[in-house]
Amino acid sequence: MNLRRTLNVTRKELVDGFRDRRALYTILFSTLVGPMVVGLMFSKTAGQEKAAQEIQVPVVGREHAPLLISWLEQQEGVQLTQGPAGAEEAVRESVVDMVLVIEKDFGEKFRDSRPAPVKVVSDATRNSARSKVRKLNGLLGRFSNETGSLRLMARGVNPVVASALKVEQVEVSSAQQRVGMMLGFIPMFLLVATFSAGMQIATDSTAGERERGSLEPLLLNPIPRWQLLAGKWLAAALSSFGGMMGTLLVTAFVMSRLSLEDIGIRLQLGGTQMLLMVAAMWPMALIAPAIQMYLACYARSFKEAQGYMAFLVFAATAPGVLTTFYPASSMPWMRWLPIQGQYIMGTEILSGKAPSVVLLVTTALVAMAVAAFFLHLATRMFSSEKIIFGR
Amino acid sequence: MIQARNLRKGFATVVAVDDVSFVAPDGAVTGVLGPNGAGKTTSLRMVYGLLKPDSGTVEIDGLDVAADPLKAQERLGVLPDVSGLYPRLTAREHIRYFGNLHGMFGSELEAHIDRWIAMLDLTAVADRRVAGFSHGERTKVALARALVHEPQNILLDEPTNGLDVMSTRAVRTVIRRLRSEGRCVLFSSHVMQEVSALCDCVVVMGRGHVVAAGTTEELLALTETTNLEDAFVRLVGPQGETA
Repeated sequence: MNLRRTLNVTRKELVDGFRDRRALYTILFSTLVGPMVVGLMFSKTAGQEKAAQEIQVPVVGREHAPLLISWLEQQEGVQLTQGPAGAEEAVRESVVDMVLVIEKDFGEKFRDSRPAPVKVVSDATRNSARSKVRKLNGLLGRFSNETGSLRLMARGVNPVVASALKVEQVEVSSAQQRVGMMLGFIPMFLLVATFSAGMQIATDSTAGERERGSLEPLLLNPIPRWQLLAGKWLAAALSSFGGMMGTLLVTAFVMSRLSLEDIGIRLQLGGTQMLLMVAAMWPMALIAPAIQMYLACYARSFKEAQGYMAFLVFAATAPGVLTTFYPASSMPWMRWLPIQGQYIMGTEILSGKAPSVVLLVTTALVAMAVAAFFLHLATRMFSSEKIIFGR
Repeated sequence: MIQARNLRKGFATVVAVDDVSFVAPDGAVTGVLGPNGAGKTTSLRMVYGLLKPDSGTVEIDGLDVAADPLKAQERLGVLPDVSGLYPRLTAREHIRYFGNLHGMFGSELEAHIDRWIAMLDLTAVADRRVAGFSHGERTKVALARALVHEPQNILLDEPTNGLDVMSTRAVRTVIRRLRSEGRCVLFSSHVMQEVSALCDCVVVMGRGHVVAAGTTEELLALTETTNLEDAFVRLVGPQGETA
């Protein structure tokens, strides 16, 4: 094989590609937008969790339940304020996040050891209030239990008999859950960056050659078609990989700026995780340009090819989105799939699960086979008289 | 030397080239003359191996193009009917790229590049990107990159089409020089003056066939005319123009 000629094709495509300013901006944008979005999401969650640690509870009718009020006031991070008269109105119109309403007959029922009525007025559609409401509900539940236990003891009954079950809460706090969901976005943006960073060269060196009429003179050079395409593919793959690395580095930087630890979010994105991410996800940079080049062969113009590329990114991210929002749809065998496999491994690495060496090697081999297959198809396209001359 | 034997090529509904044979010897300029749609470009594409003939063979210096297109292409320099340049590369980079693809590297290649840039009068624009080049400059760049590997056989598809006087002269000078170096030049044209000015031998095509072949004098004698244009009209027939 004429490695030197192939590498010259690669060099030419890289030089040509990086002189295209608009394409460079596209790559830059696709590299930065992902980490920015991830950073925003995390800092928003962090802000909400922080806010939930210090809650202000507007209370209506505090005079009916002095015991409950003083208990609440002793709890850490709780501040009671005077609630508005029309509690439901105020919540609906977002004047306050929630209102604790203590009913008139609270005192009487409480004294008679009957369930004393309180109301928590809230709006479930309001994300910012959700964790505060959850905290208030938790506090009310604790008060209820503690008071109940005291009552049983006063009647000479061991309060333990009232607990038929011993439920151990293995708590995955709300923040962790949302973080888990957000973790899926990082490999997702890596995937998008991989596809968009290689797209320019992949399409310009195929559909672009046809559109310019430069394909015919190019094919007159004594270099086998597959070596020519391999050179073009290598250029696109390098660009693709560069986009992936850029996104990963910027994401790591953004994450390091956010102080997530003090609100109890543990995200794994240190040096080891970065290396593992690269080891697991680099094969995507082999597959993406190969598919893009094959598809672009069908396009008569660069513009048309870009339309196909947009659809391709969508098709490639769809399975990932599915497994993020329906984790049950993720099966172990899916790790062997190209693209989807890299995506799943990326998510797992971020949640602290390292893939085995065997898995890393085999998924890379699968990716190489897929890339070779699409390159083979593209080579066949490049040998077709219809493709060479049909413009 | 280029030898085409009984070439035939059909597309979906039409036979573009039928039973075309010709020889282009070394040290001579052979012109393929014909009206638009006569099958000139299709014939040349079969010669340089991008179209596969339905039947017939092409030999370049005795090498069968269909059997080993890459070997044949090493001995071939082609200027296709569209120049097809890369707007973001400079003239020099175009020539270097094709030199690389022919397995030429380093100072030897640079010497060849400089030679062709000088010969085609591209020195002033050599290191500019071709995006803003005139048609003449583009054609010259395409010509230089087709010739950088010093091929024995040169195929030019309508090389002076749409060129201004100066560029046309430059291209003609190069063609004459190639001939004097003993190379085989085959070019197609529909411009009579071009052919009569340059060619040692003319192959006249019409409607996918070779209508006549020979030196200009032989064609004039054959058609009993005094100039090539009349001879051409006599050979192809006025209806040929509409084909």
